[in-house]
Amino acid sequence: MSKTTALEISNISKKFERPGRPTIEALRDINLSVKQGEFVSIVGASGSGKSTLLRIVDGLTQATGGTVSVNGKIVTRPGKDRAVVFQQDSLLPWKTVIDNVAYGLAINGVSRREREQTARHFINVSGLQGFESHFPHQLSGGMRQRVNVARALAVSPDILLLDEPFAALDAQTREVMQTELLRIWEEEKKTVVLITHQIDEAVFLSDRVVVFSARPGQIREEIEIELPRPRDLEVKRSATFVAYVDHIWKLIEQEVRMGMKS
Amino acid sequence: MTFWARTYDFLQGDSRTSSLVRVAFSVAVVLLIWEILTATVVTNSLLLVPPLEVFAALGRELANGNVWTNGVATGVALLVSFPVAVFIGVAGGLILASNRLFSLTAGPMLMALYSVPVVALAPLFIAWLGLGFASKFVIVSLVAVFPVLVTTEVGLRATDKALVDAARSFNANGWQIFTTVTLPYALPYVVSGVRVAWARALVGIVVAEFFGSFAGFGFAILAAGQTFDTATLLAYVILLGAMGVIGSLVFESAERRLAPWRHE
Repeated sequence: MSKTTALEISNISKKFERPGRPTIEALRDINLSVKQGEFVSIVGASGSGKSTLLRIVDGLTQATGGTVSVNGKIVTRPGKDRAVVFQQDSLLPWKTVIDNVAYGLAINGVSRREREQTARHFINVSGLQGFESHFPHQLSGGMRQRVNVARALAVSPDILLLDEPFAALDAQTREVMQTELLRIWEEEKKTVVLITHQIDEAVFLSDRVVVFSARPGQIREEIEIELPRPRDLEVKRSATFVAYVDHIWKLIEQEVRMGMKS
Repeated sequence: MTFWARTYDFLQGDSRTSSLVRVAFSVAVVLLIWEILTATVVTNSLLLVPPLEVFAALGRELANGNVWTNGVATGVALLVSFPVAVFIGVAGGLILASNRLFSLTAGPMLMALYSVPVVALAPLFIAWLGLGFASKFVIVSLVAVFPVLVTTEVGLRATDKALVDAARSFNANGWQIFTTVTLPYALPYVVSGVRVAWARALVGIVVAEFFGSFAGFGFAILAAGQTFDTATLLAYVILLGAMGVIGSLVFESAERRLAPWRHE
């Protein structure tokens, strides 16, 4: 059964022009299509422009060339069909958990009653029950990222864009959050694009891993991850998993070494 | 050892009682030093009188209604001019933060005005506006407006970019970004500016009353000084000090309430 395409990235390139300094070419000719309900991760050395690509897909940054289309419509600005889980703490520190989760809905003019209901639902989905009236500074890093995920889910986007969401967490919390994310993804059936530099995270979560080259970011290789689902942390010890990680690591290592020479 | 350690922990704690004990202790130390000074070094009562005499003078002024008369004059002038100063300061900060060119053009001039001790111009304002309310109003507003203006602009410009990105990614328009991110982010800055402005306003009102008024705490201090009534003079200084401390505490707690995440 062939699924419909949710996200189509065609010939995207991005150059940062800086007056009086050399232009940076961040992305060159990126072509990628993501199917409805697919979980795709993008990995690459730092500075490979993967976060820039995510911002272009969301519409926060304009590409220099090429187009992004979501469900057949060309993206020019952020829209309800996409939501981002950001890497830093991007929660509003003066709002409680429930108000943070409802923030996107409030911006889009949803009535107070309805957005409270929706927020409560996604607070439960993300395992935040009992923390509704806490402020972000009263939560641990892992709990804060749950709020970030819940806030993105609350606007019911078709595509969830995750920009290194667990990079700031300690290793144990990160693993817990990965399994939580998988569970939520299986329940909510969203299309997910994840940016990460953790190769094992990408392999564990994804249907497909896209490896970026060093600057300018280009697609070096796409790898289908054929591990059975549902997956649990056990799978990380299997030989197939280790082989995938090993293969991707070698690709990135070459890029990093080449980047060091230039 | 354990007793002293426990006492030490209690005294440096955050509880209300321990902070009251700390305040009471520091007040007691100041009063003690003051008492010792007047008993040994400065025995001339024209220069300094012991604390008890100052409190006696305070009682006298309360009883004969002078504190009331002067308090109304100073209080009304402050209650009218201070909110005006805060309002103008916030409005000015908004304008400066909204336009880079405007801020670059007006910034240096405003900085110069902020640095000039405006109270030095007090005699000039009194020559223009006469003795009484009008000159007090202008002097207090002028000294209080700048701290608010500067901190408002700084606060509005300090907005965390990650928060703006999050708002934009939810499709927020410029006005929504301003009301849900930029403004709440700037509020604690504004309040800290208001706190500084209050301290400056108290200086402003006293100086204005020195030069140009018939009533007010500044007027009473000057009058007491000219009749060598040191006890009464210090009684009014204590009242002004209390006003400063109360204002500072009020604005500090407002700041804490508006931005609890900064205090933990």
